[in-house]
Amino acid sequence: MLSKSVVQDVISQALQTGGDFAEVFVEDTFKNNISLQSGIIDKSLSGRDFGVGIRVYKGFRSAYTYTTDFSRDSLLKTAKNAAQAIEGEGQLKASELKSERAQQLHPILQMPQTVEKARKVAVMKNASNIATSYHDAISQVVVRYMDEERNVLIANSDGKFIEDQQVHSRLAISAVASNESDMETGSYGPGRLQGFEFMENMDLNHYAKEAARIAVTNLGADPCPSGKFPVVIDNEFGGVIFHEACGHGLEATSVAKGKSVFSNQIGQRVAPDIVTYIDDGTIKNEWGSINIDDEGNPTQKNVLIENGILKGYLVDQLNGRIMDTPSTGSGRRESYRYAPTSRMTNTYIANGESTPEEIIANTEDGIYAKYMGGGSVNPATGDYNFAVNEAYLVKNGKIDRPVRGATLIGNGPKSLQAVDMVGNNLGHGAGMCGSLSGSIPVNVGQPTLRVSEITVGGRKEEA
Amino acid sequence: MDIKAFKDQLFKQGQTQGFDDIELYYESSEGLNCQLDLGEVDQFSTQEKIGVSLRGNYQGKIGYAYTEKIDETSIDFLIENAIENAKIIEEKEQNEIYAGDGAYEQMNFVSNEISQLTNDEIISFLKDFDRELYAADERVVGTNFFQVQRQDLKTAMFNTQGLELEDHKNFLFFFLMVIVKENDVKKSGTYVNVVHDWSKLDAKTCAEEAVAEAVSYLNPKAVESDNYPVVLRYDAVSSLLATFTSNFSAETAHKGLSKLKDKVGEKIAGDNITLIDDPFLENGLGSRTFDGEGVGSKRLTVVDNGSLTTLFHNRKTAKKDGMETTGHASRASYKSSIGVEPSNFYLNPGTKSYEELVKSVDEGIIITDLQGLHSGVNPVSGDFSLAANGYYVKDGKQQYATNLMTVAGNFYDLLNQVREVGSDLTFKGSTVGAPSLLVDGLSITVE
Repeated sequence: MLSKSVVQDVISQALQTGGDFAEVFVEDTFKNNISLQSGIIDKSLSGRDFGVGIRVYKGFRSAYTYTTDFSRDSLLKTAKNAAQAIEGEGQLKASELKSERAQQLHPILQMPQTVEKARKVAVMKNASNIATSYHDAISQVVVRYMDEERNVLIANSDGKFIEDQQVHSRLAISAVASNESDMETGSYGPGRLQGFEFMENMDLNHYAKEAARIAVTNLGADPCPSGKFPVVIDNEFGGVIFHEACGHGLEATSVAKGKSVFSNQIGQRVAPDIVTYIDDGTIKNEWGSINIDDEGNPTQKNVLIENGILKGYLVDQLNGRIMDTPSTGSGRRESYRYAPTSRMTNTYIANGESTPEEIIANTEDGIYAKYMGGGSVNPATGDYNFAVNEAYLVKNGKIDRPVRGATLIGNGPKSLQAVDMVGNNLGHGAGMCGSLSGSIPVNVGQPTLRVSEITVGGRKEEA
Repeated sequence: MDIKAFKDQLFKQGQTQGFDDIELYYESSEGLNCQLDLGEVDQFSTQEKIGVSLRGNYQGKIGYAYTEKIDETSIDFLIENAIENAKIIEEKEQNEIYAGDGAYEQMNFVSNEISQLTNDEIISFLKDFDRELYAADERVVGTNFFQVQRQDLKTAMFNTQGLELEDHKNFLFFFLMVIVKENDVKKSGTYVNVVHDWSKLDAKTCAEEAVAEAVSYLNPKAVESDNYPVVLRYDAVSSLLATFTSNFSAETAHKGLSKLKDKVGEKIAGDNITLIDDPFLENGLGSRTFDGEGVGSKRLTVVDNGSLTTLFHNRKTAKKDGMETTGHASRASYKSSIGVEPSNFYLNPGTKSYEELVKSVDEGIIITDLQGLHSGVNPVSGDFSLAANGYYVKDGKQQYATNLMTVAGNFYDLLNQVREVGSDLTFKGSTVGAPSLLVDGLSITVE
């Protein structure tokens, strides 16, 4: 992608003002996005993202510059701009670069760039047909196909010169159900770190029908009541709450500066002992998996909370310096346009011992959140809010009628303490996570579990 | 390879390989981003970026492709992929390449003051700002995401029908969260400012404003959940309007995803609601002289005293509806195909100040901030259920901050529930602006 001699020169230039570490990140990414609506292909876009990011550290401070101009002169100028933001003396001699290729943990069988677009279109049409014919009330189906081949080179003043390739495939199906007065939507967006074989082998029937079923269910649903309820959150994408409310607080980005509620809590009880929370980038071909992180360090399985006791954080190199801990292979970034920082990969609550049926049967008057939507959290306070895409009332240990428009609000660390039942049906769901270093693919996951009390906001007038 | 040589070769090779018309859309940006933490520069970054996209008419279909690598290999990449993309498109109506209409405003959206600022001047202002934050109130314990961003952005469009257009703008954007603490409870306030007049900027005033916001959320109390009259502050209104803006797009309507589909000419809002799109605001983040298809931009009233006068159109959606484009073809960047979007979209202000709105409330709620807008809304039905921060009002006076609330309602209903429109139109770091509103009939749940 860039020659060793150019990279070596750029690193030397970046270290000229006394920096003690320099890194070059080169990215050449090919993308395809196709969209279908009302049964026909209406958009198809292909692109190539290319650029070079240069980072310099001195102690705990860092500077980052990037450019899309890959000429030697431009790269040296970009390195110089980074160096100018560093104040120091002397020139560190960078180690000699040693070429290597990241070990491929996640086999890719069919490179999407080599697959004819007509075959991609065939998968989309199939999904659209399944969702459209699910029910008479389905008035619109939109299917989006996306693939990405990301080639990276990461080199640094410690002599690292490592190349890697990451291939992602994702299909997003959304269905609209309508009657005379209302329109409701449902969606499903499965994705994996895998080639086109994922598209051809997936259970399209399940995903497309679920999208349609959610829309139809919501169409007939009453507004959700508001108040405080025990909430049973289903597996897979249900894990998004703890991703937002706890996962982000375990990232070194907020831990290192003492800004997280979990700062300086290693060895302390932060959750009931039925809660074990893990981040694992090694799970084969999962959407949030990687071979190496964007600082060139191998990914690993990180146990964050074990039986309720805080065991570890997600650490990138720069924050690792501040915390005096090694990287956990968690330095990630959307693209060359971002300096990397500590991020999640596939993060999940491990299996407990209850069955999902037992959890419902033990809930007298509550809410069952079958599919979660997105949400956000204030990192300073831990306050979160989440939409529920498909929700039901639970009455006397049984799932009752569907309700729509439910929002869950609360405080992350408090809700974590309030987990009182954990199921045995761990599942993972694909999402995009946005933070300081951009938007990256991550999985969230959990078995079905119950939080003893969450504030639910809805539109129904009486509480 | 320089961009002119790239364009000439692309046009020539593209036409040889079967394109009738070709357009090259070009964006270059230069930027600076500086983050402060604990009074020191924590992250400093500068950027230079170029991206181009090809849009071409191939056998009656339009194909797209983009690249950030300006070299010969990319010319082949663009042409091959644009042809393949054109081949699979099935939609009949196409965004054809446009020869131009000659009606272009000559405007420059560049502030020389901003472009001439040195890095040292910017950093020194940030440090002053930081000091003033701690000086403003002893309960200030820290900041989050304290950053300034400067962007200089050029967009240009060339095509084989001879069209050549360019827009140039710059801006300086401040963002920070101030964290305050009292009785062991932390609260935060967000400060956003897009600066065009650097010389008018004062670190102390900015800091006091940011801190006052954060402090106002301390010591919140529970309030009975109920339907209250609500003063939605300008920032909450803008973020809500921004969330539902795409419902005013003809593209969304054609997809069957907007309730405004067949409502043009009808009353959709109270008499006090007028919505305007103005592409020529001097410091508007969305300002432009031409749209994503090269059509000259114009000012447009979308809702006039409650009546929907038109939806936003590009040439393709306009053709479908048998009308002229309104000049709202969007190009989020060279990476996106053409859609429909406003430029600077706002709710026209009324005459009463924010203070007067609050004064007219016997018992109610002020909402300053809405969260979860990307997830807690149903863009189709207009229903929303969102986390909100704000204050309790009694006898026309702001009393105290409330515990975290959720506010639930419906956007279309809301347009008819506005008792009073404020005079404080503000664009808070967004292309969508609004004044504060006094609204009836929102359901408030307090934690």
